Parts: sequence; structure tokens; C-alpha cells
Amino acid sequence: MTDMKRHVYADNAATSRLSDKALEAMLPWLKEEYGNASQPYSFSRKPKKAIVDAKTQIAECIGALPEEIFITSGGTESNNWVIKNTCLDTPLRNGIITSEIEHHAVLNACKFEKEYSGRRITMIPVSTEAIVDAQEFSRMITDTDGLASIMLANNEVGTVEPIRQLCEIAHARGLLFHTDAVQAIGHIPVDVKMFGVDFLSASAHKFNGPKGIGFLYAKRGSILLPYMSGGAQEMGMRAGTENVAAIVGMAAALVENLDELSDVQNYLKKLEDLLLVKLDAAGVNYERNGARVHIPGNISLSFRGYDGEAIMHCLDLMGVSVSTGSACDSRRTQVSHVLKAMHVDNERARGTIRISLGKYNSEEDVETLAEALVKALQVAKV
Amino acid sequence: MKQYKCIACSKPDLNKNTVGINQKLLGEDIKNFYCMDCLADYLGCTVQELLDKIEEFKEDGCKLFV
Repeated sequence: MTDMKRHVYADNAATSRLSDKALEAMLPWLKEEYGNASQPYSFSRKPKKAIVDAKTQIAECIGALPEEIFITSGGTESNNWVIKNTCLDTPLRNGIITSEIEHHAVLNACKFEKEYSGRRITMIPVSTEAIVDAQEFSRMITDTDGLASIMLANNEVGTVEPIRQLCEIAHARGLLFHTDAVQAIGHIPVDVKMFGVDFLSASAHKFNGPKGIGFLYAKRGSILLPYMSGGAQEMGMRAGTENVAAIVGMAAALVENLDELSDVQNYLKKLEDLLLVKLDAAGVNYERNGARVHIPGNISLSFRGYDGEAIMHCLDLMGVSVSTGSACDSRRTQVSHVLKAMHVDNERARGTIRISLGKYNSEEDVETLAEALVKALQVAKV
Repeated sequence: MKQYKCIACSKPDLNKNTVGINQKLLGEDIKNFYCMDCLADYLGCTVQELLDKIEEFKEDGCKLFV
């Protein structure tokens, strides 16, 4: 029976399949052109140029300048870099203001700064739709805050935050503004100049690029200390031999996703609707979490009286991969900090799963998923 | 320890891991349990897949398993 089982991957917010174009773009840099981009001889000329071209492409994709793009290992590193290495020259204004629904890469970096550097951390509450309220944000900023870090889109419920508005407020109060855009880049239009942000974090494997690579946008002139000391790579800001193939793959994946953005957004909306129609037709009672404006394909559903973890494991045994919360939380049993911040009651939170569809999912996938979910709900009662 | 039998085939003396995987997948408060064969059949998976799940739960430190 299991030999015939179709695997349906519906956890694209955790990671996504590498695109064929990205893979093709990467291969030469893993095989024939393996030179160290930092060496002065001619064999390194092509890898060096490939990095320059990739950073130029990435910059164009988000409305930045190439010199404002710093390659990192992914979103976690980018977030840590900004939170730990900015504002250090202004000890009187070293407080950080962030939201209760950030990814742990931001929350735990803030916690680290509080514990080891004594920095003041302010946590902004969110609405029941996971939206950071601009007035509340403005009210809670103090004169000792130097950095605001608010995610562009939430990883668990997909809510898109009013970043431009929040950034304007932060700047008017003299704060730098960082946004964790890991879930948003490659899925919705992102323009750093339009948003006005000083820093932005991204991770390639969330937009069909390779794992272990990402970037940090840092506005020209912004105060940012080096993340790693060593060689002169990344303008001396992040030392270490460049992973040329991954950098090239990241740029190729981002360009591809943005080229087809509108079509994919419409397609994912169609798949979302199909899933909900199927569940409605089967008489399934569910509550959807998050805001109307959300990342396409991100569907957080709560089933009262059910255990989300049991649903997830039942679906897994039926060949369907979904998540119970953020990927980093799925091995723990406590209620998600995001749902808690949204004032979702315990019964609803406990019965919550996250389905995140991507461009490689088909209508057949969604139909299989819906059938499996209906069956899992018949099985996994509390 | 309380003795459990399979609700489907009446197989007796279900062990702690079998009871545990039933609780993990069907709900902590369930009163009726399936043996491994019947649970796999019920879920449309193999017994080996259930055993793999049990090992993962054990590695995570879940106390429902030995």
C-alpha cells in the first residue's frame, strides 16, 4: 500500500523544493568552475564575476544597490547580525523594540542581548489577526530604543505586516528599522526603498533556492559591525570563502520567482480556495487564523476538539507533510507563541495545523491533502 | 499495569508502545486501542512506518513509550 502512496509536500513555509533553474545555474560552480572567488589568478575570475552578477540580480529584485547586499548563511544569521551588531555605538539608545510573533531567530537573539548586554527589549502585542498595531507600536517606543525589528510576514499564519507605516514611525522617533522578510521574499513584491527599511533578512530555501544561503540588506551608510572576522569577503563584513554555487542559485531562484510572481500568486489563491471548498463540502468545521492580507498559500487552520500534533502525524502516515506551527517548534508540544500572542484560546490553538502550499503543488495534491485531512480528522480526536 | 486488547481483532495484551502510538495518533484520552496491524490498516500505512514513528517519539523523550 505504501509503495503506491503519493507524497504531498504542503510545508513550503518550512522549506521549498529547489527550482530546476536554480539547480542548473549552480552546477557549473560545483564542477568545472570551482575556483576560490577571492584568489587573484585567472581561474577565480569567473566565480568572482558570478558573485558580483548574483548580488546585482538580488539587489535589482528588491530595489537595492549591489553593495547593500551581504551574503549570509540564511535568515537566522541575518537576523542575529542585525540585532547583535547594530546600535552598539549608541549606548544610550541601545533598546530593541520587536513584536511577540517574531521567529525565534529574532526573539532569542533579543533575549541574548538582554541577558548578556543588558539591552532593553520591548515586545509589541499583536491583534487577533497577528497584525502589529501602528498606534501601539508608536506608543511603546521609548527614547532609549535604537532598533525596531518587525517581521514582514509571519511564518505560522502568513499575516503581512504594515512595514512601511511602522518604518516611518520608527524613523520619525530616531530608530533604525529591520524587517525579517524570510517568508515574504519571492512570494510578494518587496522593495526596500518603498518600505524604507534599514535592514532586511532573507533566506534562499524559502523561495526555491538552495539551503544554507541567504542575504542581509543593509542600507548604504547604516551602522553595522562585521559579523565574522577573517578575510576580505563581503567587504570585510562577513569573512569566509564564498559559496559561489549557492549564491548563484539563490539569485536564479529569486529572479525566477519574481518573473512568475503574479501567476503563482493567482495559482496559489486558486489552490487555497480549492482546499477550503473541499473541506466545506466534507462538512469539516475549522477556523482560519491570520489576516486577509497574507502570504499566498499559507493556510493556518484550527480544528476545535482535535490535537494538531495527532493530525500532523496521521497526515504524515498518509503521505502528507504539514506542520503544527513553525518548523522549529514542531518537536515541542507547547502552544505556539504566535497563536498565544493572537489570543487564540488553548482548545483552538491545540487543534491548529499549518498548510503551506507552493508553486510545485498541483490541484491533485490539494485534493489528496483534503481527503487525507478529512480522514485524519475522523481518526485524531482528543 | 492495565491490560488492553485490540478493539478490531481482539488481540490481547497490547504493549506500552502500541498503547502509546494509539494515544499519540488517536488522542490521549481514548479508551479503545488497536493492535499494530489493525492501526496500520486503519491509517493506511505499514506497521514499519508506525514503528519508525515510535522510535522518533522515543528519541524526542516522549514518556508514552519505552
